[in-house]
Amino acid sequence: MNTLVPAIGFGIVTASILAVAGVGFTLQFGVTNILNLAYGDIMTAAAFVAYLVTSAGLSVWLALVAGAAFGSAFSVLLNRCIYAPFVRRGTRLFGMIIVTIAVSLIVQNGLLATFGANFFSLQMPRPSSVHIAGMVFTTVQLAIIGIAVAAMLLIHLLLRYTKLGKAMRATATDPELARNCGIATDRVIDIAWAISGALCGLAGVILVLNVTAFTDVTGSEFLIPIVAVAVLGGIGQPYGAMLGALVIGITSEVAAAVFNPEYKDVVAFVILVIVLLARPQGILSEVATRKEVAA
Amino acid sequence: MKLSVTSLGAALALLAVAACGSSGGGSSSASTLVVGMFNPFSGPDAAFGPEMNGGCVPAIRLINADGGVLGHHMSCVQEDTRGDPADAVPAAEKMMATETSLVGVLGPSSDEALATVPLLNTGHVPMFVDTGQAAFDHTTAAYFWRITPADDVKGYAMALWAHKAGYTRGAAVFGNDAGAQSDVPTLVRAFTKLGGTIVYNKPLALDQSSYRSEVESILATHPQVIFTEVDPQTGATFLSELQQLHGLLPVIGTEVSLQAPWLKAVNTAIGASSMATYFEGMQPYAPPSGPAWQTYNEALLASGSQVPKPSQWSSDPYSMTYYDGVNVMALAMLAAKSTSPAVFNKDVMKVTEPGPGKTVVTSYAAGKAALAAGKQIQYVGAGGPIVFNHWHNSTGAFEAARYVNGKNVVLVGSVSAAQIAALSR
Repeated sequence: MNTLVPAIGFGIVTASILAVAGVGFTLQFGVTNILNLAYGDIMTAAAFVAYLVTSAGLSVWLALVAGAAFGSAFSVLLNRCIYAPFVRRGTRLFGMIIVTIAVSLIVQNGLLATFGANFFSLQMPRPSSVHIAGMVFTTVQLAIIGIAVAAMLLIHLLLRYTKLGKAMRATATDPELARNCGIATDRVIDIAWAISGALCGLAGVILVLNVTAFTDVTGSEFLIPIVAVAVLGGIGQPYGAMLGALVIGITSEVAAAVFNPEYKDVVAFVILVIVLLARPQGILSEVATRKEVAA
Repeated sequence: MKLSVTSLGAALALLAVAACGSSGGGSSSASTLVVGMFNPFSGPDAAFGPEMNGGCVPAIRLINADGGVLGHHMSCVQEDTRGDPADAVPAAEKMMATETSLVGVLGPSSDEALATVPLLNTGHVPMFVDTGQAAFDHTTAAYFWRITPADDVKGYAMALWAHKAGYTRGAAVFGNDAGAQSDVPTLVRAFTKLGGTIVYNKPLALDQSSYRSEVESILATHPQVIFTEVDPQTGATFLSELQQLHGLLPVIGTEVSLQAPWLKAVNTAIGASSMATYFEGMQPYAPPSGPAWQTYNEALLASGSQVPKPSQWSSDPYSMTYYDGVNVMALAMLAAKSTSPAVFNKDVMKVTEPGPGKTVVTSYAAGKAALAAGKQIQYVGAGGPIVFNHWHNSTGAFEAARYVNGKNVVLVGSVSAAQIAALSR
């Protein structure tokens, strides 16, 4: 019990990072139908952008903005220059996965060649600790939670209360029908890449803020939990990814505290398997099954 | 005409036999003998290769300056394993197929040893390994030679050092990789034998985004000291969270934590002053002093054209043992009067083990002169005496080192080989 309450608090921090990354990932797939396995590497690239910003003596807040902007711009360009041409030529889901793996390797090795095989840290003031309801957080962790809540709220408002959000949901559900209804689906897809890319970049920066030291593979090592979050929530479902992030984040931290730290991922993934046995389409998915049929 | 063709064929055959004989016997050919630096020069452990270069190059420099070995000059050739068995196996096969004058290798490291030691042993390639894997504690591979202590020996050294500091409650925080976990059984056994208690002992999953729950669990057991071996990223995350949540405890690490990548990652995470106050690392003890070290260091500092920033390896125990490995190979060739690995491999013991009436030599030149004078020798290297056991393992002393100014490592004490031997019985 002594360690359980703090573990839940720590789980919320992990869930916050997973939520930002997972929502970006699942939004990207939901709207574009591309399972982008280069996502983790784009997170790392954004972290390096943030590293350059803080190394230049600028604030970590500016680094967050720069990371998100980079992720957004890079993702849009990636889609326009590489992914979209393949899709236009009729490359199917499996073929696209191979293309994204190729992009992942290119980005990863590009970072290795540029920055070298070393460890990097964002330059920022040392955080202090804050005790809240039996849980201990650092100021950086509280900032991460705040950023995640704000990002999720913005995504919620965008999807529920704006024309663009409705257009994105319509494109995600049935792109052809959306096009026939007068929605400029190409533009919507571009915007979806920009928004999900921004979340990807933001996730990369908050991830390295949390782990303190990072390398050229830090983001890609985080890809499996991100995919798990997306699958658990129902792939293509942003709200599902938020819920999935909470489940995976909290269970993994509680498992580390109560059982053995080695079982941290094991317990989280056992829960994932159990949930998927009961609901193969994920916790909140309505469209995943339809998408699978379409693919 | 038929007779002359037959004669020509016989002559060519004789020449071929003579050529084979010379490469094995080392009597007439002046080809350059190759020492393969079989280690990662790229990939996550790319730092290993330059460290090896810092030992190999000065040894070769001195050997060649003294006329080489049995008329041959020697050279160090980079054989990049990329730190991955999938790359290391083809690299080993290529090396053995193309380096016709290969007399031995430095390495492999822990990254690729399990996959490549059997291969090199079958190929009759003497290897002065830098892997610490306990799997080789009782190896029967005839061409395997380990000058650096096995990983599990570190457990004894860490326990002895903690006991010396008066700690009785320790937490074992080791990564869940095979290398780190091999330290744990000996640490637990030794610390308990010395009257201490390991209050926390659970493997740490590497490269997680947080270790806050683990930190809480560890602190709930009230340890006085943390024993650890984890990779730099894990170390940075774990120690910074420990510091942020509750403040640091004394930490005793291994030689992994005394290397540049670990320092870079963790120093930024917890700060240079905390590193200096709380952190100590145990590594094989190779004091930067004595005649063998002086010879090594002078040759190293003169090797600037081939070894970038050579002074960084002056007190590096691994560079010293690589230097010693090359010298031992060269002296064994002299003792066996052959450059053939299959012949001189058995003389490795002959030139290193102590014995009555043996002449102690501290350099290749001195060893060569003594052997030429018909004496038996014991080579004592820059890293200290080398005493191989039945399984070709040589365990020396350990030193405790500490960081100062966030960059330099200073020696703060040592644990002798005799203390380790007594504890391991």
